[in-house]
Amino acid sequence: MYSAVKILNILLPFLYCLTFLVYLYDFVKEKNRFANSKRIFLFVTLLTHAIYLLVRTVEFNHPPITNVFEIFTVLAFAISCSYFILELLTDIRGTGLFIIIFSIIFQLISSIFIQDLLQVREVLRNRMLGLHVISALLGYSGITISAVYGILFWILYKEIKLNRFGLIFDRLPSLDVLEQLSFYSVVIGFVLFSVAITIGVVWLPSAFPNFNYFDPKLTVTAVIWLIYGLGILSKIVGRWHGKKVIVFSIAGFCLAIFSMLLTNFLAKSFHSFY
Amino acid sequence: MNLLAVSINHRTAPVELRESLHLSQDEIKQMLKGLKDTLFSEGFIISTCNRTEIYGFPLNPHTNFNDLQKFLIDNKSVEGIGPTNFQNFFSCSAINHLFRVSAGIDSLFMGDNQILGQVKESFQLSEDIDFAGFLMKRVFDSAIKVGKRAKTETIISDGAITVSYAAVQLIEKIFSNLHRKSALVIGAGETGEIAAKHLRDKGIGALTITNRTLKKAEKLAETVHARIIPFQYFKEQLNDFDIVISATSAPELILSFNDVKMAMKKRNSASTCFMDIAVPRDIDPMISQLDNVFYHDIDSLKIIVEQNLKKRQAEVPKVESIVMEEMINLFSWYNSLEVTPTIKLLRQHFEDIRAEEVEKLKNKFTNEDIDKLDIVTKRIINKLLHHPTVELKKISEDGSGSQESVIRVNVIKSLFGLNENDNSSSSDNNGTDRENG
Repeated sequence: MYSAVKILNILLPFLYCLTFLVYLYDFVKEKNRFANSKRIFLFVTLLTHAIYLLVRTVEFNHPPITNVFEIFTVLAFAISCSYFILELLTDIRGTGLFIIIFSIIFQLISSIFIQDLLQVREVLRNRMLGLHVISALLGYSGITISAVYGILFWILYKEIKLNRFGLIFDRLPSLDVLEQLSFYSVVIGFVLFSVAITIGVVWLPSAFPNFNYFDPKLTVTAVIWLIYGLGILSKIVGRWHGKKVIVFSIAGFCLAIFSMLLTNFLAKSFHSFY
Repeated sequence: MNLLAVSINHRTAPVELRESLHLSQDEIKQMLKGLKDTLFSEGFIISTCNRTEIYGFPLNPHTNFNDLQKFLIDNKSVEGIGPTNFQNFFSCSAINHLFRVSAGIDSLFMGDNQILGQVKESFQLSEDIDFAGFLMKRVFDSAIKVGKRAKTETIISDGAITVSYAAVQLIEKIFSNLHRKSALVIGAGETGEIAAKHLRDKGIGALTITNRTLKKAEKLAETVHARIIPFQYFKEQLNDFDIVISATSAPELILSFNDVKMAMKKRNSASTCFMDIAVPRDIDPMISQLDNVFYHDIDSLKIIVEQNLKKRQAEVPKVESIVMEEMINLFSWYNSLEVTPTIKLLRQHFEDIRAEEVEKLKNKFTNEDIDKLDIVTKRIINKLLHHPTVELKKISEDGSGSQESVIRVNVIKSLFGLNENDNSSSSDNNGTDRENG
């Protein structure tokens, strides 16, 4: 079992790269033989990744959320899996490679630096923590995908404005679709963040004796959640359109990632486990 | 295959001649009847704004291109037309030309989307009067297959190649669902009309027309099921529209930067597309600086058209290889048609020899022995011919290896001295003489 974990850990970045190359080929070449079969590559990669996460959980007797690099592999999986579902539901093609590249980055870092911990703090084996972390990670994958679609919107917006009708213009879906995808992803991310925060608020005080509502990580999360909430509301009531929604999505993502990194590595928090 | 074809098209004749030779459906039906009575056993006519073409298998082997040209000119009574205005095709070249036409690579607008439908209609007219037999139907099927393959396997018909359509293509890159959008077309001239029709074809949610002359606007609105707003009021309602296409002949700007800025403010800066396809321009190009305003004039739309034309041109070799593949398939099938009559001839030849020899021995055996001899000799013949028959049938069923089938058939005919005139069943299936390839 341990050797399977090792092999899959090495194999996954290659599988993601292969899938990325197939999506890239499909993006560059019109009407090619991978137009439909590229999904199979992504499916096989995700299946392998799911097996890896399962095997890892069984082998080390804890969910793969005990260190940053385990979190990264789950995040890589969550991003591509969310995209896969999105592609199946909307049948919108031509954007996969821009999403998969994030999975490659996270998985590559994870595969290189991951540690195989057998001894972890008891709290990290708790099921509630598992739910809390998984929903938070899915929330992050939601806002990541939203930001990617936001960037694609921005690029296409500029291309159209500047009369550049090249590959990007040909292959990307319409601005309307990119805006919708970005918005839906952010809504899904927001909902999952809300779930993670709710679990956290209910469960954390009982699990941590030193729990503090004004903990820097919690404060930052609450502020980000509030900003996203206001942004989503503005879009829903029809005050924000097009470029404004996209600026909000990208800025929100940057703020979320930057503040999380800052609070994780610099601030002292009861919420740090690694 | 002795298929004859004559064509008058955009390469051989000026537009006036092509126009005067253009045939309506009734005229095509009438002419098909004339062709059926006098020149062809099977045939069809394609007539579009850019070509008029006649294809057919002649009843008489002496029928030539001149007869066809004369038939066409006599029936349409066109003056100033001569042999130089025609392209003539025979056999392979006729099939090749038909396939190229179906695929859209012989069109004035490379990759023309409409031509395949027009070819289908031509076939249908021929079938309606029983002028398409077994062979012609196969030619039809192959031509349609070429057209469909060209559309699905290449990008020969992709992308807009007219400015009006490029405007619509660009709009579709901004808005995903035109059913929920409203559009205003300013100007009811020819360009405005084409743009309005494209929008209607794409299922625009609400279409409005405005024009200085109200009557022209009303006429166009009726055609495209649109509503009208008087020209003097359209600026006040500008904020209601997601798409504005302007195609007037006004010598000055009719929409200023401030008009659009005001409208965008009222719209909460919701995305709006302004397509200025007028020369000189109708809309202040400065509006492109406003957020969520997409302004494009005729020059930027021409960029799309030129790029699409280049892309289509680059696809021609791919389409030509499809044409070649389907020609090989068609002629392989055609050549394999020779196989079945040859099998029949061969078996008949052996049966004749066997029957003759048995007949010679009739008086030397008892009736009972003769019956046995008859059975035994038939069995020998069947066993001898089993393998050659199976091999020949294989070629016939596969429809492949045409060259091989031709060689085998000719070798067998030559070795056994088989003569097609000996057996009526070996005559041509469509009542015409055939040539290999």
